[in-house]
Amino acid sequence: MGRSVLIVDDSNIMRQFIKNALPPELGPALWEARDGAEAVALYETHHPDLVFMDLTMPVMDGVEALTRIMALDPTATVIILTADIQAKSRARVMDLGAAAFARKPPTPDSLMDALAQADQHRREHP
Amino acid sequence: MTASTILKPDELELLQEIMNIAFGQAAAELAELIDIFVVLSLPEARVVPTTEVPVLIVNELAGDGPVSMVEQAFWGQFQGSAFLLLPSNSSQELVYLLGNTGIGGAPILPPKELEKETILEVGNILIGACVSKLAELLEDTMSYNPPTAVMECHPSTVFPITSWEPGSTAIVLKTLFRFSGKNVSGFLFLLTSQDSIAWLRRALASFLGRYA
Repeated sequence: MGRSVLIVDDSNIMRQFIKNALPPELGPALWEARDGAEAVALYETHHPDLVFMDLTMPVMDGVEALTRIMALDPTATVIILTADIQAKSRARVMDLGAAAFARKPPTPDSLMDALAQADQHRREHP
Repeated sequence: MTASTILKPDELELLQEIMNIAFGQAAAELAELIDIFVVLSLPEARVVPTTEVPVLIVNELAGDGPVSMVEQAFWGQFQGSAFLLLPSNSSQELVYLLGNTGIGGAPILPPKELEKETILEVGNILIGACVSKLAELLEDTMSYNPPTAVMECHPSTVFPITSWEPGSTAIVLKTLFRFSGKNVSGFLFLLTSQDSIAWLRRALASFLGRYA
């Protein structure tokens, strides 16, 4: 059984890209959210092993959702997957507890790298 | 020709996502240059008659004060013009943020010239980063005209609608941005004519083939 995954992005197409690029060891349990509020609710219900989170979203953005998820579960593994690649954005979300940061568009290689980064982060911050 | 016959909803959504990535690249390059944090809105892709573009722009700009605009034309297989619109107080704040010697230590200029020089440089960086990323994602190669600036115009008169064919349709790709903690905000958008549509549809299909 692979690790369960929550994908959070307001774009249906981008969620499909992420699903297609997921490393094979993830899933099959998978949930999708279209904004941060849905993500927090799904996290609370299912406690997925891994979250791929966009930053710029309607209703509740990824920074707020990350903050709330980390408050619910300080051991949550959240990978930020975003087009906002500013160094300060990265620093901000890593300070808030994100386990890795990857840029869009996702590819199998970039998600594999992000996963390795997240696993390392979890080992260093158990 | 209606919006729906030019691009289907899923093509517009994909284009919006591609623009999100391109605008993100532009913000990152500017943030690195002047050590600020750029807050981007959700990007939007729309197909509108060119005659409606000025109204759309005026509606997007907060307030009725003067604006400054940088325009830069680009062409590859995808071609059009990119625009950076800033309320005039934002362009003055940019001069302050970039320092009074201008980018790259250029000589001090009279204030109005310095302001124009500054927004030309900022426009060039934002537009160049955005359009280059767009070209990379859609596997195109772009050439650019030098940017031009129009300073302190009323929003309703700043847009050069006369340069567009009457009855033509434009794809408007836009994002609003602001600098966190600073009095700078603006509006970055690309306009492309319907002449690019056939190529654009093929490029979007090819992008989908690579990622979907």
